[in-house]
Amino acid sequence: MSGNKSSGVRYGMVIDIDKCTGCTACSVACQQENNVPFREDETNKVRSITWMEIYQLDNGMPYPEYRQAYLPRLCLHCGASPYPPCTFVCPVNATHRDEDTGLVNHIPVRCIGCRYCISACSYHARYFNWWDPKWPKPMEEMLTPNVSPRMRGVVEKCTMCVHRLQLAKDRAFMEGRSELEEGEYVPACVESCPAKAMTFGNLLDPDSEVARLAKSSLAFRLLEKLGTEPKVYYLSSQDWIHKLADKVM
Amino acid sequence: MLETALKGSKKYWILIGVLFGLHGMGATAFLYQLSKGLTVTGMSRDVSWGLYIAQFTFLVGVAASAVMVVLPYYLHNVKEFGKITILGEFLAVAAVNMCLMFILVDLGKPMRMLNVILHPTPNSILFWDMVVLNGYLFLNIIIGWVVLSAERKEVAPPKWVKPLIYLSIPWAVSIHTVTAFLYAGLPGRHFWLTAIMAARFLASAFAAGPALLILLCLIVRKVSKFDPGKVAIQKVANIVVYAMIISIFFVVLEIFTAFYSQIPGHMHGFVYTFVGIHGHGNLVPWTWAFAIMAVIATLMLLCPPLRKNETTLAISCLLVFFSLWIEKGITLVITGFIPNPFDTITEYVPTIPELAITVGVWATGFLILTILYKVAVSVKEEIAS
Repeated sequence: MSGNKSSGVRYGMVIDIDKCTGCTACSVACQQENNVPFREDETNKVRSITWMEIYQLDNGMPYPEYRQAYLPRLCLHCGASPYPPCTFVCPVNATHRDEDTGLVNHIPVRCIGCRYCISACSYHARYFNWWDPKWPKPMEEMLTPNVSPRMRGVVEKCTMCVHRLQLAKDRAFMEGRSELEEGEYVPACVESCPAKAMTFGNLLDPDSEVARLAKSSLAFRLLEKLGTEPKVYYLSSQDWIHKLADKVM
Repeated sequence: MLETALKGSKKYWILIGVLFGLHGMGATAFLYQLSKGLTVTGMSRDVSWGLYIAQFTFLVGVAASAVMVVLPYYLHNVKEFGKITILGEFLAVAAVNMCLMFILVDLGKPMRMLNVILHPTPNSILFWDMVVLNGYLFLNIIIGWVVLSAERKEVAPPKWVKPLIYLSIPWAVSIHTVTAFLYAGLPGRHFWLTAIMAARFLASAFAAGPALLILLCLIVRKVSKFDPGKVAIQKVANIVVYAMIISIFFVVLEIFTAFYSQIPGHMHGFVYTFVGIHGHGNLVPWTWAFAIMAVIATLMLLCPPLRKNETTLAISCLLVFFSLWIEKGITLVITGFIPNPFDTITEYVPTIPELAITVGVWATGFLILTILYKVAVSVKEEIAS
């Protein structure tokens, strides 16, 4: 598993599907926070960039047994050892997992756009920039200054708002602290969730909320049998949702 | 020696002109792609590699096949192949050039391609592919050129080239093995997740490449005074028969494993390419074309009178080449992405700029091939006269 034992930090997330209303606030917050480009026509879902994608699930049964749910899917920041599938295949070191935090990052300025990582990722969590990023006039001034926009022809992905981690670390340093407190670093999606369905924190800290929830009997991960060791967990009390998580196997 | 390529018949110059024209068309389409980005292609999030990478995969096989004439000649002293090793090596040079061009046009940021060398990553199979492909290119250029120059001067080739020739034999196997590993090692892509991927690649390479070599030998004999020799062609034909049978056998192994085990992920790819899923079946006609052509070609090659007759042999070789081109140059790579790991289907159809670039790269490769073959044939004619 990633996350250095000595650092004692491995960031992860738990998303409670039973609480999620599918409002897509997380997706919008992510898009805005990370300067993710969008197009006037976003109907082409296989070319749009949505680091946080909301899948609609249903149990395939007719009424009255019909049930549906929403599953927000970000990059799962795979904890597989020694490497996550995507960073393992990159020929130019343009994606990398920070072993002190367990966060899988991208380095767009180095990426050659071969899309090998997209083939290697089973979760569709990596996105290729098919077009030049463009924002309508007033929005250009509203971009997040801490996140550099990516250029056409490179692959990008969810960074768990790693720039927020940097800012939190800087603040802690100025205050003379070496460790972050729980809740000091939270990605934009978690912050925006009105249903409080998402929990973020250090999975290695036994006292943290996220570690407690990840150990819950309701917890599961996507395509767990592939051995990718995702660090994003889902909670649901409904069996049919658990079954969908391992569907392709 | 290159000056021999500057003197040729009218037909030679027409061929050069046509190939150059197609190259120009491809280059123009590539400039268009460069200015608009890969959005001009038919690729998407779900099918992130398309025709370019599929062509690359097929051509690695064509390149590797040079070993099928080099190995018998240098290791088993099959004298008949002495005349055509140069044709095999120059075919490899042209094919590797096409491979490299196909990777180049597939990159989102081709201007950054040297990052593969500046930030080397031994854990990435693509890095190793760059190493082995470039190595193989230089090996074949050096070996081919040095041996041909010596032949022209009617002296024995220098001793230092021998180790390179021996090195080129396992190297040919390595380029196709590494290329198979590009696919075979990805989690969640069941269609590719098979231990015999590299073996399958090599078997189909040793059928498609030598089949093309036979066709080229027949053309060379027709347009020049150089005769590669009937015996040599028949010996290459024997290689094609064996390799073709093994290729088909390997495909049957895959189908058996998938359907007898009934593991859904392993079956989906085959269901998609052979009959289609939920009304999606863009590749169905292609897959059947491959299957039918492959079976007809094998039966024709197995029948001695049809194999010994050079007209029917040429037809069989065409069928072998095109059936394996479909198998590796279209269906194998694209089906790997369909259905995707979430079990949904996104179809892929190449666009016109994509097709134009593909044709352009093939034409550029054949331009290189024509020039190299012209040099080789001129030297052979010179010695004979």
